[in-house]
Amino acid sequence: MIINRILVILFSITTGILLSGKTYAQKDSIRLEPVIVQGFVPVKFMSGLKVQKFDSTTLSQFKFRNISDLLSLYTPIAFKNYGPGQLNTASFRGTSSNHTAVLWNGLNINSPSLGQTDFSTIPVAGFDQLSVQYGSAASIVGTDAVGGSILLGSSPVNAGFNASVGHQHESFDNYQSQVSANYGVKLNDIWKISGKTNAYYGMTNNHFPYSQRRGYSILPSETFQKGLVQDLFLQSKNDQELSAHIWLTNNKLTIAPNELAGRELTLTEAYRTMLRYRFKDLALRTSWVRDIIDYAKSDFKNPDHAVTDKFSNRIEKDFQWNIGTNGNAVQVKAGAEWTHFRAKLSGYKNPLITENRGDLFLLTRFQVTQRVLLSLNLRQALITRFNPPVTPSFGGEYILIQKHFYHLKLKGSIARSYRVPTLNERYWKELGNPEIRPESGWNREIGLDQTYQITANQHLTTSITGYYNRIKDWTYWNPARNYRVENLKQVLAKGIEFQLGWKSNYGVLRSGANLGYAFNNSTQEKSYDAYSAEIVGKQLVFVPMHSGNGNVYVLYKKWKVTGQLQAFSKRYSTFDNSQFLPGYTLVNMLTETTLNLNRIRLLIQGRVDNLANTFYLNVRNNAMPGRSFALSLVVNYRSTKNNFY
Amino acid sequence: MNNMKKQLTRVAALVAFSLVFWSCNQSDPAPKGDYVKGVFVLNEGNFFQNNGAISFFTREETTSQDDIFSRVNGKVLGGGVQGYAVAGEKGLILVDNSAAGLDKVEIINSNTFQDLTSIGAPDIENPREIVIGNNNKAYVSCWGANADYKYTTGYIAVIDLGSHKVTKKIAITGGPENLVYNNGKLFVGTNSDGGGKTLTVINTTSDDVVKTITVPGSATPIGIDANGKLWAGAGTNALKINVDSYAIESTLPIGSDSKKSARNFALSADLKSIFFVLSYFDANYVSHGETYKFGVTDTQINVATPLIKRVFSGLSVDPSQGLIYAGVTPSYAQAGYAVRYRGDGSLVDSIKVGVAPTGFFFK
Repeated sequence: MIINRILVILFSITTGILLSGKTYAQKDSIRLEPVIVQGFVPVKFMSGLKVQKFDSTTLSQFKFRNISDLLSLYTPIAFKNYGPGQLNTASFRGTSSNHTAVLWNGLNINSPSLGQTDFSTIPVAGFDQLSVQYGSAASIVGTDAVGGSILLGSSPVNAGFNASVGHQHESFDNYQSQVSANYGVKLNDIWKISGKTNAYYGMTNNHFPYSQRRGYSILPSETFQKGLVQDLFLQSKNDQELSAHIWLTNNKLTIAPNELAGRELTLTEAYRTMLRYRFKDLALRTSWVRDIIDYAKSDFKNPDHAVTDKFSNRIEKDFQWNIGTNGNAVQVKAGAEWTHFRAKLSGYKNPLITENRGDLFLLTRFQVTQRVLLSLNLRQALITRFNPPVTPSFGGEYILIQKHFYHLKLKGSIARSYRVPTLNERYWKELGNPEIRPESGWNREIGLDQTYQITANQHLTTSITGYYNRIKDWTYWNPARNYRVENLKQVLAKGIEFQLGWKSNYGVLRSGANLGYAFNNSTQEKSYDAYSAEIVGKQLVFVPMHSGNGNVYVLYKKWKVTGQLQAFSKRYSTFDNSQFLPGYTLVNMLTETTLNLNRIRLLIQGRVDNLANTFYLNVRNNAMPGRSFALSLVVNYRSTKNNFY
Repeated sequence: MNNMKKQLTRVAALVAFSLVFWSCNQSDPAPKGDYVKGVFVLNEGNFFQNNGAISFFTREETTSQDDIFSRVNGKVLGGGVQGYAVAGEKGLILVDNSAAGLDKVEIINSNTFQDLTSIGAPDIENPREIVIGNNNKAYVSCWGANADYKYTTGYIAVIDLGSHKVTKKIAITGGPENLVYNNGKLFVGTNSDGGGKTLTVINTTSDDVVKTITVPGSATPIGIDANGKLWAGAGTNALKINVDSYAIESTLPIGSDSKKSARNFALSADLKSIFFVLSYFDANYVSHGETYKFGVTDTQINVATPLIKRVFSGLSVDPSQGLIYAGVTPSYAQAGYAVRYRGDGSLVDSIKVGVAPTGFFFK
């Protein structure tokens, strides 16, 4: 019983519950080449790394869903899900939930107290751009980018006025609604203003017609989700840009809602605000993010309340020189970031924790020849009480074959990564450890990218990447020490990822496929007590060794049919691999069509999730729901004018 | 003639023997199933993974079968295993899920482990221990919802083994925990976090509380010794209690270090000694301690010389062989061990079992 209490506390610490305008063009769904998004995350310095960018078609297909639904169908990121609408954390390339950096307009929005993101609280409706960057990019992104980074962004819109209203209704009395508008006007000859307002609302009642599947209980839960996104861009002809971004989210999860005495409430709120200013090569950013988590049981009257504030300022300047006889460009970005944290958590020893963190970075990119691109990046993080190591990365790309129909590129990267311990890891009373060291890792990866224009109508892209990522001082809430946090583990994550994209275009008939496979072997390397010898060399928990995903679509005139598949091999649930959750494959089917009525466009989507009614389990050892249906309608109005000049 | 008589006698004897044998067979058939005789290990599992299980091995074996319930039934129990009791052909498993409303008593065929039925919420909420009483009844201590961890919602659920229904809930404050049934009386102890200092006595004919015995600390009833006395742990004392007058006949202090707590009491097979674990956490949250033994007629408990220099997450004695079975939990994220010792504390062997072995059941 003491054990159970300790476990409740531990679970709370690790998961945070106790603490207190779109284009409708049908393009290929995924582009694998790095894209340059000026300002937010300097992706162009990530040479040698794999960046997967999602286009607006894919995002709009997932308009009413959470980001984890999309990522699990398009990437090898393995999600550790506690149930429908419940806590959902990511394991990227065999790392833990603390090793994926989530950036919103360049700002890390992982909870400072938990050092991770609950992806069930991030709907696709909350952002306009999504890229996934694989592997360590700590020199560019900063802390947490050990397994990879998820980059969310806002984009400026065109002139004119677009408005849309959408609603989705799903099985089990689940529904989502959205209202959004984007607008842009020319203020004068120099300035234009544009913006987006989006409000979303969803109720996941999970009124399943069954309480068990194959003898396994389904844990009843409800999730109420709402949010508001506001972006404003002020752009000038002389390359000045001022933008303001607000994203408010509210996610209310109730577990066992009908058990009035034992139900559990987790209310997760985030207030994210940002101001950015850029004049040519100089960019300034200031932001304030407040994360609130309330956890309560029974009558919900006296919740454990956790508030963290993060004030962050960033300055960066770009430089460019042309050197050598060919005038090859050297681009440099130098910058600094300063962040102040204020945390009030009922579980902390001190009522208020404040902390300052600084970051200095220097990013360089050198186009040596037309075929060779190199980048060398450096970052030094400075943190109250201790400093993580200097974080360098070196990456390169070499075009092996360059023909108009065929392109083959070799790329590689070696990068150091680090993770600053979370506030919980340091300040949680008794179990936290103020002396805990930052984790530190070295990631090496090499890959081949190939594009092949098979015929005038068919295009193929493939990529294969191998990685080898060793992380030292991996922190662990040690059960042998009453769950006190310690730098106990050393983990080696190695694996291979394969991706294939194919598309064909025969006028009214278009089709495409995206297939992915990942092998991941992630193991504990160091023994730290008599019994830990039994876990050395074993696959980390909830990291599938094999995972696959696939998306196939056929578009005929205005009708599109998409099949989606995700498959995972078994996931071990104990460190010694003595228990596991069986592997499974899920298939979804979607049918979409559009109707044009002058300026009004109707988008209708019908979807069947878990088409084969597959039985599978979540990490609580509870059954996940079977086949379900969803129908959505989006009504879109657009004004005729859609260009500024 | 004589010969024939002899033969007839032989035939008659044979027929008689066969009849006796046949009728014996009819009235008391040998139970059939893979789990008729052996050791059942109750593994609590990792609370939030709901992966508790019962491991099984025969006394001769040195490896266990893990999660026999799931082997037989193709589904897991769905929670931590808190207790197990057998009444004839019926076995009752206490299953504690991490979420409210999913706790249950799983009723199985005790010999085959085939699932028969289950009793769930709201009858069973946070079950802790189970004993079989008289009149075809089982008693389950439950904390109730206990959302505020104040241990005010506890009760004893009375299960009718014929109808598989909870027929009564007897309210017990302080977090009811250990149970000892003896001759029409149920002795109920409380959880050490509950703050209670009483041992409750329930008359199992009326299923009413007939007495609350005040004790110096939270009560942990252990069992009835060879002399018919009830033993109970109470804080840092062991108490010998008269089962009729309820008088505390002797109070034996278990050492003098208030930082240490005594847990996992177990009576020896001859009911003349009691084993227990005395442990504490150091400043680094490492658990330290040893396992001790005292006799039921001893006038003091010797905590100077341990029987076994180890702490255990579970301790029981096999009544048929007298071996001590000790549970070792390296962590809640890997398999534990059942370690066997002789009565003198010498090691026999160890068997890998499920996650967090905390109890044993012998058949």
